[in-house]
Amino acid sequence: MSHLSRKLSLALAGGAVLLAVPVAAHHSFAMFDNTRSITLRGKVAVYQWTNPHAYLEVDAEEAGGGTRHYTLEMTSINMMSRGGWTSRTVKAGDEVTVYVAPLRDGRPGGLVLEVVLPDGRHMLPGVPNAQNYKRTS
Amino acid sequence: MASKALYAAAFVALAVPAAAEPDLSGTWERYPQPGDTADPALISPPVPDPPLKPEYKGPWQANQEKLAARIAEGQPAGDNYVHCIPDGMPAMMQGMFPMEIFQRPEQINVTQEAFNQTRRIYMGETLKPASELDPMFYGHSVGRWEGDTLVIETTGIKQNVQYRWTPHSEGMKITERLHLIAPDILRNEVTVEDEYLERPWTWSYTYRRTPGYKLLEYVCEDNRDYVDDEGRVTMRIAGEG
Repeated sequence: MSHLSRKLSLALAGGAVLLAVPVAAHHSFAMFDNTRSITLRGKVAVYQWTNPHAYLEVDAEEAGGGTRHYTLEMTSINMMSRGGWTSRTVKAGDEVTVYVAPLRDGRPGGLVLEVVLPDGRHMLPGVPNAQNYKRTS
Repeated sequence: MASKALYAAAFVALAVPAAAEPDLSGTWERYPQPGDTADPALISPPVPDPPLKPEYKGPWQANQEKLAARIAEGQPAGDNYVHCIPDGMPAMMQGMFPMEIFQRPEQINVTQEAFNQTRRIYMGETLKPASELDPMFYGHSVGRWEGDTLVIETTGIKQNVQYRWTPHSEGMKITERLHLIAPDILRNEVTVEDEYLERPWTWSYTYRRTPGYKLLEYVCEDNRDYVDDEGRVTMRIAGEG
């Protein structure tokens, strides 16, 4: 693990991190509801390793049966690399649990706050000021 | 006696320069980073508001509430990134991601990892007036050493390339003075002069070395976010047109 990714992991593990410098973020995250979270369980359809964001598309199990396709934004792959992710951390078909700050407009999408991988590892995508996103699910 | 002292001074002046120019080559990032035990004496204070002339202050002020909210969120100021457009100067020097300095006697390049941005500083050349230059994102930069301080002058920056939404003329001139303030701690003192400003706008950035770090590539490849007519950022989701 590089010095940087170790440092970032520590920072992420610490939860609330006070930053004196701009955090790498691509745009305002106001479109995501930071007052609540939803928990999705299902199969990964797409794990897209691109900038300005990585994306995770998940066919999530619905309460009444069936699935719903969610489009989930992550952070820059540069940030994620420094946090220990690679292009192979997740693959299509993986069964995952994803904690998400949902889109405020109700469409099936959101911002990934945390992913639980099939092997049980909990991965954080390095959302700037993650402590400001309430976990209610 | 006087001539002897002069001779000694000249000898010292000749002997010192080779050692006085520090080698800034390598990777750097803003200081402090999460997890750093920061020395308060080394931290740069927040960037002050631009001292714009009254005729430019009004429109700028109107955007400040939005800007302040974004900075509090830890977001970049401005919409360049949402449009997959790089920072340009001077915003790229805020060090959103790590940066790398390549130093040769005749040329120094600075690459910012975010958006693969590179600026080129030609040492010993004279800065041309902006009126003779084509405006660009990074402008045109010349550099020189003043003892152990690297002085960079830049002009010819496109008017739509703005830092903190601050309007400027094509004649805007940025002077940077980079010097090590502690081992592996680099201070960049920035001065912006422009006819849009009442007086020079100055601030500083502090960077620290990131030993062993290798810059990653950054290509803005699939941007699913866009800014709508009201300035809101929206995400396209799979299956939508």
